[in-house]
Amino acid sequence: AALQELQEYVLFPLRFALKVPGPKQERLVQSVLQCISSVLAATCVKKQELLQELFSELCTCLAPLSGSSKPAPLSEELKLAVIQALHTLMHSAYGDVILSLYQPSTLPLLGFAVSLLLGLAEQEKAKQIKISALKCLQVLVLQCDCQEHRHLDEDEAQQCGDLFASFLPGISITLSRVVTGDIKQGHKTTVSAIRLFYLIVGLVMADGQLARVPKNKEKLPAERSRITELMVHRGPDWSKSTAEKLSLLLHKMVEFSSVHPHWKVRLELVELVHHLLRNCSRSLVGSFSHLLKALVGLVTDENSEVQSRCNEVLQGIAEQRIVAQNRALADVLSENLHSLATALPRLMNSEDDMGKFSTLSLLLGYLKLLGPKINIVLNSVSHLHRLSKALMQVLELDVTDVKIVEDRRWGCESACGPSGSLQHGVLKGGCQKKYFRFFTEEKVFRLLQQVCRVLGYYGNLYLLVDHFMGLYGESALYRKQAAMVLNELIAGAAGVGVDVLQEREDSLNMDDLKASVTSILDEYTDQANWYLITSIDTEEISQEQSVQRSGLTARPGGACNGLLLPSPEPQVTTRTMNSNIWQICIQLEGVGCFAAALGKEFRLLLLSALYPVLEKAGDKTLLISETALGTLVDICEACGYDSVRSLINENSDYLVNGISLNLRQLAHQPHASQVLDTMLRHSDASLLPLVEDVIQDVLSALDQSYSSQASTFLRVLHSVMAALVQWFGPSCGEEHQQRPTAEQRSRTLSQGQQVVTKQEVEQFFLDYVRQKQIAEGNLPDPGDEEADEVPPLAKMEPNNPDTGEAPLPAHAQLAKDVMERCIHLLSDGNLRVRLKVLDVLELCVTVLHPHGNHLLPMAHRVWPALVTRLISDDPLAVLRAFKVLCTLAERCGDFLRQRFSKDVLPKLTSSLLSQAPASARAGPVYNHTLAFKLQLAVLQGLGSLCEKLDMGESDLNKVADACLIYLSAKQPMKLQEAAQ
Amino acid sequence: MALPPPDPEFVLRGTSAAVHTLHFSCGSQEPDAPLLFSGSENGLIHVWNLKTHRVDTALDGHGRKSVYCVETMGGKDRLLSQGRDQRICLWDLAEGRTSVTDSVFMENVGFCRCSLLRVAPGRWLMAMAAKALEEVQVLELPSKTSVCTLKPEVGAKLGMPMCLKLWQLSCGAQPLLLAGYEDGSVVLWNLSMGKALSQLDCHQEPVMSLDFDSEKAKGISGSSEKVLSIWSLHEQQNLQVYKTHKLVNAGISDITIRPDKKILATAGWDHRIRIFGWKNLKPLAVLDYHTATVHCVSFSDHKNPSERLLAAGSKDHRISVWSIYTQT
Repeated sequence: AALQELQEYVLFPLRFALKVPGPKQERLVQSVLQCISSVLAATCVKKQELLQELFSELCTCLAPLSGSSKPAPLSEELKLAVIQALHTLMHSAYGDVILSLYQPSTLPLLGFAVSLLLGLAEQEKAKQIKISALKCLQVLVLQCDCQEHRHLDEDEAQQCGDLFASFLPGISITLSRVVTGDIKQGHKTTVSAIRLFYLIVGLVMADGQLARVPKNKEKLPAERSRITELMVHRGPDWSKSTAEKLSLLLHKMVEFSSVHPHWKVRLELVELVHHLLRNCSRSLVGSFSHLLKALVGLVTDENSEVQSRCNEVLQGIAEQRIVAQNRALADVLSENLHSLATALPRLMNSEDDMGKFSTLSLLLGYLKLLGPKINIVLNSVSHLHRLSKALMQVLELDVTDVKIVEDRRWGCESACGPSGSLQHGVLKGGCQKKYFRFFTEEKVFRLLQQVCRVLGYYGNLYLLVDHFMGLYGESALYRKQAAMVLNELIAGAAGVGVDVLQEREDSLNMDDLKASVTSILDEYTDQANWYLITSIDTEEISQEQSVQRSGLTARPGGACNGLLLPSPEPQVTTRTMNSNIWQICIQLEGVGCFAAALGKEFRLLLLSALYPVLEKAGDKTLLISETALGTLVDICEACGYDSVRSLINENSDYLVNGISLNLRQLAHQPHASQVLDTMLRHSDASLLPLVEDVIQDVLSALDQSYSSQASTFLRVLHSVMAALVQWFGPSCGEEHQQRPTAEQRSRTLSQGQQVVTKQEVEQFFLDYVRQKQIAEGNLPDPGDEEADEVPPLAKMEPNNPDTGEAPLPAHAQLAKDVMERCIHLLSDGNLRVRLKVLDVLELCVTVLHPHGNHLLPMAHRVWPALVTRLISDDPLAVLRAFKVLCTLAERCGDFLRQRFSKDVLPKLTSSLLSQAPASARAGPVYNHTLAFKLQLAVLQGLGSLCEKLDMGESDLNKVADACLIYLSAKQPMKLQEAAQ
Repeated sequence: MALPPPDPEFVLRGTSAAVHTLHFSCGSQEPDAPLLFSGSENGLIHVWNLKTHRVDTALDGHGRKSVYCVETMGGKDRLLSQGRDQRICLWDLAEGRTSVTDSVFMENVGFCRCSLLRVAPGRWLMAMAAKALEEVQVLELPSKTSVCTLKPEVGAKLGMPMCLKLWQLSCGAQPLLLAGYEDGSVVLWNLSMGKALSQLDCHQEPVMSLDFDSEKAKGISGSSEKVLSIWSLHEQQNLQVYKTHKLVNAGISDITIRPDKKILATAGWDHRIRIFGWKNLKPLAVLDYHTATVHCVSFSDHKNPSERLLAAGSKDHRISVWSIYTQT
């Protein structure tokens, strides 16, 4: 405080020392300057004159020698001291006092100081000087970072703005040179240069100030006309031309610093964009394409701080609705978008993955920034066209992988086994990995996904869906991509997994979404798009084609059918098949997407959607069936079902409806059977009442077309029977184990037999009914089945089960019906059909096993056909037939004894005998031949067979004779073991 | 060449008993799903939601005895059902209730479906077979007061009434009753006089079903024979055979003329549904889906013609629903 009062006195000698003309020692000047600084730091300047004088005196210290343009050849320390003294001076000045410096009259003085400092900042080598010069400049333009300064009110700011406008060209050009200068100058310099740049530009070009600038230049008093000439009038013309120039500079700076290696520079760039966008969104519209590009590009910066700040800024922009309210900005953005979309395919072709990534994030950023204004862009035909074409090209899939076609699902033989593991594998869900032509990285795809979702989120859904549906139908080339885009659009529209900056204006209309989904779903599952050729199995192809043809006749007016149909002589290459497979997969994924988008609302659509999906789940191509299962899992989640099983169980009525209707058309039969197949595999016994209904349809359909469709239907029958065995297996198995023991006991205790069987049967029925009830617990109409089942039980108990004419339980009745058909098909001309029939037969026998009095007549009827298979057929068939025989023997016991010894045994033993020499001679390769397997099976089976059938002595002798040969050392080891 | 006959739009399963009667109620406003009522042999009335194709509720009011007639009274909240337990029940279904509000005991044990006619808002006439073998009784609902009993002349030997159709030329006009009898004749009754106006012997066998178009003053009846008989009503209230149509297979269990009077559907014992043009009885389609006798056919009352449906219930426990409006 004391110093404050003595300030002028203390300063006087110092100022005098500076002012003394003639050469001075540099060190002296430096010390004087430092002294002034410390005095000023401790006091404040209260007088305008003092301030102005000090200011000018300090500036003259650095003034170049008169005449030369170079700055004075002074030492760096001195320069630094001057700058610091200036800095302190500015800080020590009182608020009102300092404003006196910013009058038009002091313009020359200020100009001198500014140019001085700029010169230092640009040309000096020392980092320190550069930075302090820039800092000092910052103070000089009243934009210091520190808090002490009084905030300028509007008029004052306006005044300063007017003033600084004169310096703007000089400052901005120099600063841009500094910014784009050598990287070696260090990031601090660049950072402060950038900061200064945006501060000054933000001040001078502020929208608020420019708006208040009067149209015409004020007439100033004549005596100040010289100074007035220096003043700039910030009219519209001026601001326009300045903006153009600034735009050039900004472009250069942004280009340079957005790839600057130091993250702080990039961070400062973000700040720059932020500041300018906030303050000059109207005056600098022309530069925004660069600025936004930089900003959006930096969203994916490797430095997390830059990233987060960038996101913040974007968020801020979006929240303030700068874009939404500013039509011009939206125009800029849409223009950017347009050019980017145009260039996108080319860029995707040429850039590396990193480049692609940044390009796409740019695209995404534009879309996000546009937000609700996206519709402006979409409403322009050319924009939408460009954008969609770009997406189509970028998303092109690579369909050259041969493996996709080759990967087949296991045939039906192993059908029931892997169902458990299958479900496990799929439960994780998720999409199939796709291979794109233009990129390999997953994150690129994620970006594209986001692009589509953001589009769907903000955009007019009807317009978009309509457009992409158009592309979908337009050419097979775009179909997959369009489907992918559609899927994501819907997901985005529902707000699933979208990452956006601002809420959309009108919240989602569920009805609209539903309508769109329904129309897309219809298109996807249209015959022409759903049944595509995916394999070269001649059998299947002909079916597919007949389907397509029938599809064509069914809808002769269909617009896209013509394009789709293969030419009369279809050249089905692996490529097209691959592409078809992918298309189906994408469509399946789409169904899953839609389910996720609609949630429980999707339950209504299950009516039409579930059937096609299940159909594909039964497809032979691994990829398709897996995708379909994934879709099922998705649907389960979306609709709130616990598992695929409950999904199928609860919607089995829809499925059965579809199956039964499709069975009526020859061409659709294979598909219907696929659906049934899948349904059975993923479900449980609770389905039985409905399945029973539909199996009757299957059987009647089979009856109508024995020749052509036998093999497809057999597959279904096989899965039906396999399912029955599985569902009712435990009780069968139980029985199975009990039977032999009971029989053994009966031999010793002829009295006990009846009691045992009675109890046993009773037990079985109780078990059965209990199971039945459990299984039917959640069925809509359990009444009927129980009504059928309970009375027989009541009747059964008092009766002797052996004589009771109990009606068969439904599944056994089914097995009986199936067996009936098998008898006819056993002598089919096609070996494959025969083999299948034998398999089915075996399962039938297993199911029918507990119902002896029904099985025996059937066995009787089956016998002749079976014998023919055993005696004179292809070895493969004989093998299977023998297996059936063994199963049958287990069940029917002595019923078969007579027939076996009469019809089959002689043939078997003779064949064994005749084969013996051959196998004795054969080498190790023989182990892999069919004949060997047959021998092995027969030898292994014969023993137990004889035991079960309780063979007579003579027959046993025959068997023994035949087997004895095989005990010979010359026979292969395995055969020997089996013979023992 | 004509298009092949269409497949059913969808099939409703789960009644687990033969379906004897069907009745649509689809006229309601958008948020309410269109409904189909079905009465089946196990005494349940199922209320099908035609949006989800599933049973909304199952009404049990006839003691597990077959239900063979279901009608709505006004909206879908009031329902009339007739069962083999000799009761006609009136249901209140509003707001999820499922209660029988009233019932009429029928002394007749035949199969004759009752017929319902709205004569004024909130007032209905119902014709049903009466206790005496040949008689028909007409009640007013909901008051249950007897309006008249229609007795044939002594010695007419018509047998039991088999099917009834109450109608009136226009609102407020004299209600009339058409009744088909066991001996194959169709009789037109005047309700106020309680007197037969005209009698026509259409069939050799009992009349199984009939429907009447009051605009064209023409009616059609089917019996267990192979013949459909179309008859017209002259101004003197006189029935006359107009035309007969021979069928391939015998037995018609139900005939319904579509509300717009353009086509009619028959439910055949040969498992088939046949569609005819009503004007000239031109056969239009044979809908083949069921695997057992079709018991009933019914047209829906959707407001929008393109949504309208035909449903058929059969002994095979299924209800097939067809969309044939657009194709005819």
